[in-house]
Amino acid sequence: MSTPSSLESLVEALRCLPGVGPKSAQRMAYALMQHDRTGALRLADSLRGALAAIRHCGRCNTFTEIELCERCASPKRDASLLCVVETPVDMNMMEQTHAYSGLYYVLMGRVSPLDGVGSRELQLERLLARASDGIVEEVIIATNFTNEGEATAHYLSEMLKTRSVRVSRIARGVPVGGELEYVDSGTLAQAFRERRTFAE
Amino acid sequence: MTQRHKVDGQPAFVLHAHPFRETSLIVEVFSRDYGRVALLARGARRPRSALRGLLLGFQPLELGWAGKGEVKTLIKAEWQGGQPLLTGKALFCGYYLNELLIHLLPREDAHERLFLIYAETLRHFSGVLQESDLRCFEKALLQELGYGLTLGHDAAGAALETGGDYAYEIERGPVRLSRRGSSGLSVSGKTLIDLARGDLGDPRSLAEAKQLMRSLIAHYTGGKELATRKIFMELQEL
Ligand SMILES: [Zn+2]
Repeated sequence: MSTPSSLESLVEALRCLPGVGPKSAQRMAYALMQHDRTGALRLADSLRGALAAIRHCGRCNTFTEIELCERCASPKRDASLLCVVETPVDMNMMEQTHAYSGLYYVLMGRVSPLDGVGSRELQLERLLARASDGIVEEVIIATNFTNEGEATAHYLSEMLKTRSVRVSRIARGVPVGGELEYVDSGTLAQAFRERRTFAE
Repeated sequence: MTQRHKVDGQPAFVLHAHPFRETSLIVEVFSRDYGRVALLARGARRPRSALRGLLLGFQPLELGWAGKGEVKTLIKAEWQGGQPLLTGKALFCGYYLNELLIHLLPREDAHERLFLIYAETLRHFSGVLQESDLRCFEKALLQELGYGLTLGHDAAGAALETGGDYAYEIERGPVRLSRRGSSGLSVSGKTLIDLARGDLGDPRSLAEAKQLMRSLIAHYTGGKELATRKIFMELQEL
């Protein structure tokens, strides 16, 4: 039995989706072609549309359809603060805190030495230029508290240390409302090591 | 021993992990009694998974797994604690150790002594980072793999002389040089003696040992550029 080649190439193309192996790709392709041709068309159109419209914001690097995203263009944001996050999702999480009114830079990834991802792959010179605009006074590193997030934080702090900006790292510890009984030992141990003295 | 299907309470470290399917991870670990093993951690990327945040590199864990294939299934993971997370330069050195183990250790080949040295080296890393710890780890790694350096005597069997100059030849060992600067990697007798003792307090010994280990490791990794070294060098260039 031979499969038509356009079906084969569809299966192959679907495999670029994260977490999709050959079997799932085949199931998706068959489902689209057999039961949902309208859906398939919509998928094709929106993919094409998104590819044409979506780019990276010239200042914060997040996805946007305009040159400068709304947040970066807003006069209400404090342009002296720049918060560096790994992904747009992380930026949204920070926004939900309502605790921060500065601007962002989205790395769209993290430093991962074992995967060969470093400054070149993340185009960190763009962040360096962004942080050296003369207006930014503090860069707040809000990467994950994983080894890769820490590696990224170290990389950024080393990179920025010769610039005239203050560099800070968000704190970690016991979650708000967290009872010690239910906090995982790793978090508790680190919170203990990073304990602070009560201010007078 | 590696024929057993079920392993429990095995001391191990995560070397590397990569996403698998929608919610799982394939984790490469270095365990005490089974060496380097690949494990499937089902659902480890789900938001509420107990494994999330636990399968972290450089942290002592106790793992349980089952299965016969190349990739086993992780059943249990417990954090052993007592060690701060690596930060800064030490973190990059940790990645370097992991890359060496991934490239050079064959899967499921037990190296208990190396495991203990690895754990000890990471403990040192969380204190003050010493470059000599890296060199001693490299030396132990090569030794464990059967590529041990000849450091007790020169290639002709004569005792090493502190003041002597040698060319270190892979497979043969240190060859005494009549004068400095001929072919091969030249290294002083003192460096070789210091390296044998694991005492690299002398800056010259440390520098020469670094060159020596680098060329040996390049040889055994087939000249492959190490990603962790490349990323670290990029950092220095910024
Ligand atoms: Zn923007």
